[in-house]
Amino acid sequence: MMPAMSEKIPSATCAPAVIASVVDLKVHFRSKQGVVHAVDGVTFDIRDGETLGLVGETGCGKSVTARSFLRLVPMPPGIAAGGSIMFRPRSVCPSCEGEGCARCDQTGRVPAACPACAGEGCGDCAGSGEETLDLLAVSDARMRALRGDRIAMIFQDPGKALNPALTIRDQIAEVFFQHRSAEILDAAGVDGSSVGPQTILLRRQAAQQSRGLEHALLALPPLRSGRNRITAAVDAMIAAALAETQIANPRKIMHRYPHELSGGMRQRVMIAQALACNPDLLIADEPTTALDVTVQARILELIRELQQRRKTAVLYISHDLSLVRRICDRVAVMYAGRIAETSSAERIFQNPRHPYTRGLLAALPSASHSRGQLAAIEGTVPELVDPPPSCRFSGRCPNETEMCARFDPPLEVVDDEHAVACFIHHEPPAGSGERPSFTAKTT
Amino acid sequence: MTAATGPRQAGQTAASVKLVLSLRGLKKHFPIREGALQRVVGQVRAVDGVSFDIRSGETVGLVGESGCGKTTLGRCVSGLSDPTGGAAYFNISQTDRDGLDALLNIPEAHHSEQDREALAALEAAHRVDQLTGPAWRRYRRNCQVVFQDAFASLNPRHLVKDIVARPLRVYGEATGLELTERTVELLEQVGLGRQHLFRYPHQFSGGQRQRISIARALALDPELIVLDEPTSSLDVSVQAQILNLLHKLQQQRGLAYLFITHNLSVVRHVADRIVVMYLGKVVEAGDTATIFERPQHPYTKALLAASPDLSQDHDVEMPTLEGSVPDPAHPPQGCRFHTRCPVATQACGWEVDDVVRWLEYREGLFDALSAVRRDSPFEAALVFDDEASAKALAAALRSDMVPAPMRAAMDEPALHGREVQLRFREVSEVGLAERGAGHVAACVLNPAGE
Repeated sequence: MMPAMSEKIPSATCAPAVIASVVDLKVHFRSKQGVVHAVDGVTFDIRDGETLGLVGETGCGKSVTARSFLRLVPMPPGIAAGGSIMFRPRSVCPSCEGEGCARCDQTGRVPAACPACAGEGCGDCAGSGEETLDLLAVSDARMRALRGDRIAMIFQDPGKALNPALTIRDQIAEVFFQHRSAEILDAAGVDGSSVGPQTILLRRQAAQQSRGLEHALLALPPLRSGRNRITAAVDAMIAAALAETQIANPRKIMHRYPHELSGGMRQRVMIAQALACNPDLLIADEPTTALDVTVQARILELIRELQQRRKTAVLYISHDLSLVRRICDRVAVMYAGRIAETSSAERIFQNPRHPYTRGLLAALPSASHSRGQLAAIEGTVPELVDPPPSCRFSGRCPNETEMCARFDPPLEVVDDEHAVACFIHHEPPAGSGERPSFTAKTT
Repeated sequence: MTAATGPRQAGQTAASVKLVLSLRGLKKHFPIREGALQRVVGQVRAVDGVSFDIRSGETVGLVGESGCGKTTLGRCVSGLSDPTGGAAYFNISQTDRDGLDALLNIPEAHHSEQDREALAALEAAHRVDQLTGPAWRRYRRNCQVVFQDAFASLNPRHLVKDIVARPLRVYGEATGLELTERTVELLEQVGLGRQHLFRYPHQFSGGQRQRISIARALALDPELIVLDEPTSSLDVSVQAQILNLLHKLQQQRGLAYLFITHNLSVVRHVADRIVVMYLGKVVEAGDTATIFERPQHPYTKALLAASPDLSQDHDVEMPTLEGSVPDPAHPPQGCRFHTRCPVATQACGWEVDDVVRWLEYREGLFDALSAVRRDSPFEAALVFDDEASAKALAAALRSDMVPAPMRAAMDEPALHGREVQLRFREVSEVGLAERGAGHVAACVLNPAGE
């Protein structure tokens, strides 16, 4: 099931029932010391409706991977050094108009048809008839249309991710103006298809494109009622989005500024904003790190409940293994820009195979450890400046062999669904391999 | 004061243990200032009457949500801010401590001349905010702090050599070559070395920076180190290294730690005793094993249930706490936790503010509320804009829409036109009560949990 390494898969497909597939992603950064290989050949799939946990320590590249989905990595200094992120957007189910039917598994959404063959199956879509986009190659305009609509992100610190100068209403309204202006016009009872000057002004208003004098024109009697209807329609949509995240009294909350809300409330607003357009993929980048345990428990329950109801796929990024175990179906463990191990959550916690995963699990303090006996992983995370072609974990690994310094273990499937990048579980390649030396690299 | 007496040790064995620090009714209130004249209009009760002891060589874990006053308490303990009431007593002997407790138990008005003299003598010798001269210096060098944020607590313009050696220099412990050697020794104790002497803090990772902080705190061989969330900004693998290091140092030097954290699995690992705080008050204190196995206070139970644990079954739904932490400027009456407590009873201190808080979630009604005329926290008239709203509230208060214990604690609401007159039974503050050897909890429910 797991595509093992990039060579085996042509770059423009991903397996069925997979919503997004990261294939040999490489993101590097240029720095004074040299090129930092922050993400260096990461491969994993996110399946329909699952929660995939991406776990790792600070600086292992998990946030960069997540941000690459939305092309939020600044370039330069970032360099897209290779690989692709394939994504299958969905559209409204034609047989039930989004109501939920048997064909779309009650979600109201089906994979969007391939534009080249209209769902017939052609060379572009490898016969599946489904549209597949390479998020690293699509045009900026298409990316803008996807961001916040089909792929949404919840950031780590809601205190920093919300704009302090805008009310909650204005922030969430942006999502609707950006992606849902047709629905807004519908709800406001404006016929968006006619071409009269009034409609054009209102249409621009519903897409938040009104400029200068237009605001003055919209305040005049013939247009004012239309404008007010648009405002009311947006307010209703925002209130509904906020109510979905169990915010009490959404009509009141939406006129507040972020600083007036508690941390938990702000994170709820972030979630409401992210889920406003019913995205196909939700990326949650450590959404509870800045919160207390009691609030964290509620936010996790909320994400899980919303995810189950909407069958959204979630990429959940965290450094907290106990949290990941609670809410994820599958887990990918990252170390120093590489995937060390992927498996179902159950397996990885019962039977971790990579020494790094074992180390991480053993380092968690628990009642069974006697004091002072925590199994810390010795040493520190390696510098990712021009790394040698050896196992990234060599030097800290308790099971290190001579092979580990010569070859870089690829991520290979060991038994169904469980893939590990370690020579303990599969043979190192034949041949002697050149022992890398740091002096040789500096040319 | 009886209610606020700290967790007492289970009898005889305790007599021989040396106390490092005793807190008695410690309060820290911050004034809220308003207007052009900056008049004080209220008090934020960050810490509101906290008492416990820290014995030599033990780790006391201080747990609570953000905003419960645990960091403020740490600052008061370490002498970084002065308490507004009560005090911390440093290096007080067991007998003196018992004498002090006896004196504090007598209301001040009933103090005899002798009592006053005895108290003054004890305070001059031990009370942290009244120490002066050599006694103050002795306290300062024996009580060190490791701060949460190792990025902010190390001066970016100083070399490691200067940072770690500064306490030694200030107290005239060493100079010249000896100073450097002592510094290297300290660095080696925390797993760094001579090669790190001439580097700046930014050249280190988070874990290494926290090690530098610890080396600085160790420099004067203190008796007590206040650790304010020392590992919360670190990764698990680094956290394990730091926790192991702290344990090793405690074994070697007999240090006492006040370990402030919100991470329950960490505190379970490191602490001998745990103090749980909520809104500036201690709600439960006791041995680590007791607290984790037999928590008595519903808040402790909720905290334990909410913290994810690898050994837990992952399919079990996490029980969650409703509502948010109330404003510490107007803490709830009775038990401060009653607004969120899942097992609240009518005796928990329901008051007028609870009705107002409940109203905030009722859109139409809260907008119609024009005034609250309070006679006391338990008695008030809510004035509405129109009679219909007043009627709606009175009806709601009699129905299932409000929590049942709140209804039980309230007299029948009286409706007078646009006004609803409310009266609750008066309840005094819920104090800490003994629940077993060295285990205290502040809950109206009895130990059996009835």
